[in-house]
Amino acid sequence: MKPSVPEIGRSLRRADGPSKVTGREKYAADHYGEGLLWAGVRRAGVPHGRILSVDTAEAAALPGVVAVLTGGDVPGTNRQGIVHKDQPVLCREKVRHFGDAVALVIAGDRETLAKAISLVRVRMEPLPGVFGVDDALAPGAPLVHEEWSGGNVLLRATIRNGEAEKALEACPVIVEETFEVPPQAHAFLETENGVAWQEEDGTVVLVVSTQAPFRDKWEVSHALGLPWDGIRVVGPVLGGGFGGKDGATVQCLLALAALHAGGRRVKMWWDREENFLAGYKRHGARLHYRLGAREDGTLHALHCRLFYDTGAYAHLGGEVMALGMEHAGGPYRIPHTLIEGWCVYTNHPVAGAMRGFGVAQVSFAAERMMDLLAGKLGMDPLELRKRNALRQGDRNCAGVTLTASTGILECLERIGGHPLWTGRETWKGQAGPFKKRGVGLAAVWNAMGYGRGLPDSALAKIELTPEGRLRLYSGVSDMGQGNATAFVQIAGHILSQEDETIELIQPDTARTLPSGSSAAGRTTYTYGNALIPACEELRRRIVGRAALMLLVDTLDDLELLPGRVRHPASGREVPLSVLAATMTEHERICISQFLMPVVREVPGTGKEFRIGFPHLFFAHAAHLARIEVDELTGTIEVKDWLAATEAGRVLNPQGFEQQVQGAVAQGIGYGTLEEVKLREGRILTPDFAAYILPGSLDVPEIISLVEEVEEPTGPYGMKGVGEVGANGPLPAIANALADGCGISMTRAPLTAERVLEALRRKGTPGAGETS
Amino acid sequence: MKEVFLPGNLEELWRALEREPAPRPYCGGTDLLVHLRSGKTDPDALVCLERIPELSGVREEEGGLWIGAATTHARLLDDPLVRARLPLLARALSTLGSPPVRNMGTIGGNICTASPAGDTLPPLYALDGEVELRSRDSSRRMPLRRFITGPGETALRPDEILAGVRVTPDGTYNVHHFEKIGIRRAMACSIASLAALLRVSSSGEIEAARLAWGSVGPTVVVSGEAEQALLGKRLTRDVLEDAAERARKAVSPIDDVRASAAYRREVSGNLLLRLMEHRPL
Repeated sequence: MKPSVPEIGRSLRRADGPSKVTGREKYAADHYGEGLLWAGVRRAGVPHGRILSVDTAEAAALPGVVAVLTGGDVPGTNRQGIVHKDQPVLCREKVRHFGDAVALVIAGDRETLAKAISLVRVRMEPLPGVFGVDDALAPGAPLVHEEWSGGNVLLRATIRNGEAEKALEACPVIVEETFEVPPQAHAFLETENGVAWQEEDGTVVLVVSTQAPFRDKWEVSHALGLPWDGIRVVGPVLGGGFGGKDGATVQCLLALAALHAGGRRVKMWWDREENFLAGYKRHGARLHYRLGAREDGTLHALHCRLFYDTGAYAHLGGEVMALGMEHAGGPYRIPHTLIEGWCVYTNHPVAGAMRGFGVAQVSFAAERMMDLLAGKLGMDPLELRKRNALRQGDRNCAGVTLTASTGILECLERIGGHPLWTGRETWKGQAGPFKKRGVGLAAVWNAMGYGRGLPDSALAKIELTPEGRLRLYSGVSDMGQGNATAFVQIAGHILSQEDETIELIQPDTARTLPSGSSAAGRTTYTYGNALIPACEELRRRIVGRAALMLLVDTLDDLELLPGRVRHPASGREVPLSVLAATMTEHERICISQFLMPVVREVPGTGKEFRIGFPHLFFAHAAHLARIEVDELTGTIEVKDWLAATEAGRVLNPQGFEQQVQGAVAQGIGYGTLEEVKLREGRILTPDFAAYILPGSLDVPEIISLVEEVEEPTGPYGMKGVGEVGANGPLPAIANALADGCGISMTRAPLTAERVLEALRRKGTPGAGETS
Repeated sequence: MKEVFLPGNLEELWRALEREPAPRPYCGGTDLLVHLRSGKTDPDALVCLERIPELSGVREEEGGLWIGAATTHARLLDDPLVRARLPLLARALSTLGSPPVRNMGTIGGNICTASPAGDTLPPLYALDGEVELRSRDSSRRMPLRRFITGPGETALRPDEILAGVRVTPDGTYNVHHFEKIGIRRAMACSIASLAALLRVSSSGEIEAARLAWGSVGPTVVVSGEAEQALLGKRLTRDVLEDAAERARKAVSPIDDVRASAAYRREVSGNLLLRLMEHRPL
């Protein structure tokens, strides 16, 4: 693609493409510095224990060691956490999971660091552990946080609309099932890392791989008792995040190290094993469902009991569960719902945000329930979904009346008209020996934005430099999803400048403005909405200044072109470089804020959610999976994939498609392979040899259909598309398994071993032919 | 820092091996480097066998093929002799690791690592491979099945290296079957695998059978019982089910993070049923 003035709705070359493929782009991990020191953490190594003593003398005496710090050395509250501040930077009294941080070591090189970490002597009194939902809720269970008033329950919440229990009794058809999903790892390429140092004026500077640089300032300030304005966070592009870098990873540890490094730069870079051990995970969950319908397939009542295992610390556990509960009924009209949730502390790794934030879990259950119901009713699963699909104006399962764009029905219709669906019976009949073929659907949705209670805001800033070029200050991280490209597209489009000439400043709390986290499908929506008026104002100023310079008295007679303003009637032009030189900084910089709209009529339920409930906007998708199952091994081969996605209008078709493709691939991993296996709190899958991600052969050709339904509040009608696609694969594959093999799987991932066991129990004859 | 010797010929190798303490030989390092990083193994010094020409390549010898221990998997896969005469081995090699692993890893490394999950081992067992062991003063041969004595254990003496493996394919086998179950479709450690060589007459009778399973016992598993059950029979479902039941009795798998012993036992038998696809038309 050649440099061009970007158009909305047309693919634009990624703003970070050339710099990434040529290796010029600097990730946080690429930052070093003169006289660099290395920092590392001594981890607990037990799932639950009381710290009797931490002896640092031997480690500190090792030549090359700069400092060895323990919980007592942490100034401030020593507490981190986005909503609940329950996670120590360095543990003082007890440890609550294997990867908890007990001591921080700073050394001159990595070998010395590793040696010194091993020399920190920790004496620990082991405590009985809490290894799952049942343990956590058992009477008399050991407490993960003794001081927490809720025992091991971080959050217990209820969404109630109508009278679900009574309504269920009246339903002629009821299906009931319990599902389990495991923790999933984000498995980003660039593991958690950063570099920090203290400047002469005392300011602590962090260059860190983070999804939320502005929130990081608050975290560090709170945990270490540092003045908020004495912290600067620089957030370069990320080598992946998926939610796992939304929240403190290395930040507080690094800032603490910087306070003990005498102005030298300190680098911390978790290796893959430490990423597995100490990094955040998607919540494992148990989901109990009872769904009732009328004889014609109209959904009538739903009762769910959802249990989310948040591990040792809250992180965003309550909010993750809240979003799961809000989506528990799927994108359907259900007049009576009772959705109960328990988010519990355990001695498992800390669970937090991950693409599909609580929703990927319930989507499995909700969409299997729809197929179970279709089976019981003898109805076509697509027809059942279409009959109940939410439309604008309907009330969703959380009791919220949908006033924004709602395109799930259109997505389902696109699937229904596609040859991969209409030709499915023929295709299924062509399976070879020992193979069974199945076709499965999933209808999924995912909310956009933080939800009520937490303002979803961005401040956009655009500058015409003194040299006459555009400089765009992005305050919200790009972890690879392409929001920065969208910002360039919007600015270039409004200001008629070629994409390549626009300089993009990545988040830096000293240069860019607070714009929230790169999360919740809100990045381009919120920042884009802030950017449009800023760019329009700058355009007026540029053209206005040209009018003065060219002595033209109406702005309509002037044309803003790449690098210049032209007066077509006379043919006269003024280059932007000349024009900009006449402007003051105040004139050249435009700033605008946008605050995402929220639900006005909040339902009278879900009162336990302090923030993050309910949501106004949703992206929608319908997925179709065609799979082939090997009856001898239980192996699933995903043969074809169709995803019809509605996320408002599309700014950049290529970026949209990349999000769909990536989400489906990650979802296929979640559906068929990926599982953080735990035994008494210890991770049995500590690296990529044991934790298996899908490879290129495990992901089929993915056909992405775009269903555009304009969202009037969105920038050019768009909504966020990053998450919704991750919710479809697990249920679609499970439904395809039920279709092809007649087995109803309730535990994810759908491994070959589990499939073979289910086939064996069902007593499948085995061979696809006779001997 | 570790001392690494890079001998360019056998004489330099023998000299390196005479040092005290003796450096640990390796070839490819795709397994060793992982264990060095994790600290699972920590030898004082290493000696690399990759640059010794006498240990590399494929040649015809004594009616069979001699394969140098230092020959990489990628080179074997490209070798016309291997492809033509050892299709069973070629099939197994094509499932081994990933292209980068196949470019580094060697057949000698795969044999000496002696993992029950080593992908080249079931075909080499089925083919009755024979190893050639050399030291400065001696050279000896031994069937591969005797050479590997346990998981990670071989009959290699401290002064010896594996020089090569000799395979004499029996051209009368007309079914060459290999299948590996991994968690994903490529770059996956074997959960269970089966290498099978059959001679099936034009009338459909099984005249000879060699079977070997990977990852379902401390070493590669062979089962005379299962082989016997096929002889003189046809590739029917009943015959294969019978052999499968014997195979399930012959294997002794373990539970690990990839799969349970029960699953491995089950599929060890199931994999035989795939042989139905090789019935003469």
